[in-house]
Amino acid sequence: MKLPPVLRLVVRNFASNLDPLTVVIRFGQPAVTIIVLGTMFSTIISSSVTGGSSYAAFLVPGMVAFQMITGGVVSGNLFWLDRRWSMVEQVFSGPFLRSEYLGGLVLTSLLFSLVGVGIMMVVGLPFTGLPALTPVGAAMVLLTVALGSVFFAGLLIAIGTRLRSANAYFSIQSFLQLFVIFLSTVYYPVTSKTPKVLALVFYANPLTYAANSIRDAFGGTLGAADLQGLGILALLALAAFTAAAVAFRSMDLGPIQ
Amino acid sequence: MPARELVLETHDLGYAYRPDRYAIRHLSVGLYRGEVLGLLGRNGAGKTTTVRLLTTLLPPSEGGATVLGHDLRSGGRALRARLGVVLQSESLDFVSVERNLTLYAFLWGVPSEVAKSRAEEMLELFELGPARKRRPWALSGGERRRFQVARELMHDMEILFLDEPTVGLDAIARRRILRYLKDRARAGLSIVFTTHILHEADLLCDRIAVLHLGRAIALDTAEGLKAKYGGAREVLVVFAGPLPAPVRAELVGELVARGASILTPEEDGEAAAARIAFRSVDAESLLPWLSQWAHARHLDVDRMSVEAASLESAFLGMIGEADTAGGDGGGPVGRSAEPLPPVPGGRVP
Repeated sequence: MKLPPVLRLVVRNFASNLDPLTVVIRFGQPAVTIIVLGTMFSTIISSSVTGGSSYAAFLVPGMVAFQMITGGVVSGNLFWLDRRWSMVEQVFSGPFLRSEYLGGLVLTSLLFSLVGVGIMMVVGLPFTGLPALTPVGAAMVLLTVALGSVFFAGLLIAIGTRLRSANAYFSIQSFLQLFVIFLSTVYYPVTSKTPKVLALVFYANPLTYAANSIRDAFGGTLGAADLQGLGILALLALAAFTAAAVAFRSMDLGPIQ
Repeated sequence: MPARELVLETHDLGYAYRPDRYAIRHLSVGLYRGEVLGLLGRNGAGKTTTVRLLTTLLPPSEGGATVLGHDLRSGGRALRARLGVVLQSESLDFVSVERNLTLYAFLWGVPSEVAKSRAEEMLELFELGPARKRRPWALSGGERRRFQVARELMHDMEILFLDEPTVGLDAIARRRILRYLKDRARAGLSIVFTTHILHEADLLCDRIAVLHLGRAIALDTAEGLKAKYGGAREVLVVFAGPLPAPVRAELVGELVARGASILTPEEDGEAAAARIAFRSVDAESLLPWLSQWAHARHLDVDRMSVEAASLESAFLGMIGEADTAGGDGGGPVGRSAEPLPPVPGGRVP
């Protein structure tokens, strides 16, 4: 039986460009961060700063949220490599629609992120114990990461359609990753001591909403602010996806370097 | 005999990459089922743009085309599902050669068992067996090109577009591929084939469209093009004995009067005196006249030979003619240009 085109593209995305080393590094890096950074800083950072839990337990939901970037980056890079190696043009010359190719990338991103969520939760178990996740909380975690990965995938794909140099793309991607991760509440919370300007930047960052919501879901303390955060994330995801879709329509398919 | 089925027909097709800057314009060609149509032209003539237009990778700016019964503008997926395209730029997935083949077949929805056996067939046919476990980027240039063609043949299609598929291939590989394509065409596959290697266009193509500065300046069989545009060819006539000087002078005069240019030196020993070589655009029509002329003077002709017309000389003739006739009206690619007057053979009969 022939799979629908989008699913064929997703299978191809996983089979073609995701070599085992890439997968290990993509999931291994945040897992190692939980273990190494969590253990190291648990002795330095007071639990009063991290809401009563150890720093490692604080870090686990942050790394779960981080998976939305992992998924987004995977799709952004897949798209860039497909462009670089002319596979976008080759796929478009086949029985596929541009929307299906874009859908395939986003779905790849989603799947990658959600697998990452599972891995981070398992790696984090020794630090967090069994999270107090209700069914609503679990849905919140999955939805947050899903929306976040759509946001980052859409953003990177939209950027990727406009650039013609690998150096430019990967520089922007690295900068964006670093900026988004460190100016969010993934590694540390916004406290009363956080400079106001920095706090503003933190709250302009979608990863902050994701990390906070997932933390609340883990602690069983979901509230209205988390729903609000989810709404913001949904809007951002929609905007980024729309940007990618619009950019796709007018994308130059010619060879790039 | 049943009428030949036209599978592709373009009408004044054009593509402007910026308003009023055309890469191809007024293209009116056709392709029959089982036919191999060659697209020849200099760099930037519009061959690749034509392939990209006809495979829906670019939207036409003007004119239209019907491909396999679909309008080019609205055919979309249903049309592309019946086409195969080997693009000029190399494309690959980051897996082994063999996996690339089966993965591409999977993308096209080819059942896995069929894909496996077809992959074996392609690896054998394109001599990629020893490289099956290697990544495509580790292959030589020629192997990579063979891989591109092999991969596209993993799925079924009715029209195959090949944009310079033989670049970098050695003569043996090239012949092997051309023979295979010819066989596929005999079995009903229609092929659009671009190349700079005129000899291979001569071998493979049933008809050839010559593109120049974004226009089709000729469309005919290779033989037809050679006959029309082959230009002056060299003729050698060897008489049984040396020609007496007055007779030779008379012959030279007659030939010059008929537009030939004499290549043989006036006098250079006995053997040379028995030969005369000249170039003429009407070489073939001069031969009967020459026979009669010799017969009337009781001269025995040992041998007469005419240099075979080559597609290359025809191509050069066509380009030269178009440049002279087109002037600014032809306009270099990218310039705004008015249509050239209709060219013989430029339309599908």
